[in-house]
Amino acid sequence: MASLKTGTKIGLIAALLAAATARYWFYLASEVALPTDRTLFVAVFLFAAALGVFALVKRTSWLGAIPPIFAIVIGVFLPLTVSVSTQIVERDSVIEVGDAIPQFKSIDGQGQAFDSASLNGHLVLIKFFRAHW
Amino acid sequence: MSVDLPEVIADRRHLHGLQATMLSDQQLTVTDKFGLRNQGFHSAPGSEEAEALPVPATLLIDKSGKVVWIDLSADYQRRSDPSVVLAAMEAHFDIAGD
Repeated sequence: MASLKTGTKIGLIAALLAAATARYWFYLASEVALPTDRTLFVAVFLFAAALGVFALVKRTSWLGAIPPIFAIVIGVFLPLTVSVSTQIVERDSVIEVGDAIPQFKSIDGQGQAFDSASLNGHLVLIKFFRAHW
Repeated sequence: MSVDLPEVIADRRHLHGLQATMLSDQQLTVTDKFGLRNQGFHSAPGSEEAEALPVPATLLIDKSGKVVWIDLSADYQRRSDPSVVLAAMEAHFDIAGD
């Protein structure tokens, strides 16, 4: 480590901080446990990004520029996703408790037709989700 | 219910070992019937080019076809915690949560 440029060392710290925070973030997301208030996460990510910029200003070696750039990309991108994560439904048209569900037809994963009439008389859980990823 | 294509559903269903009926709603026809299209900014899946996405939502429907419980995620990064859904099922479906 002693032979590394100061910027390279700071860049490595920034990358480790960004990676560890992102790892924890995705762990919590997979557990459906991300906090509603993600200010601290945003602060840490932005700090990692800022540290990455500082590392580049301090000058890194050629290869040493990769970790701080990684830190900047991760540190800026995840806070951005927080800022656009709010979901808005049209209040007038959204289904509410007490409403009868609309009849609908669809296709399943095998390409088979599905008719909501088949749900009649059953207790049903319907989950809408964004997509598989 | 998702905007995934049937092939993607089949693929992922296998991957995740899911047992439930998974339906494709790429044109958001059903999503719109339920009024669940997200009106805010959305990031559509790149390869499948859905024009929009539903708001993550979980609904419990009774035998008469009425909604007895609904959980809308105001934030896509936070979805219904399984424990919340299970508790609602116990409360509204009058069954043990197992």
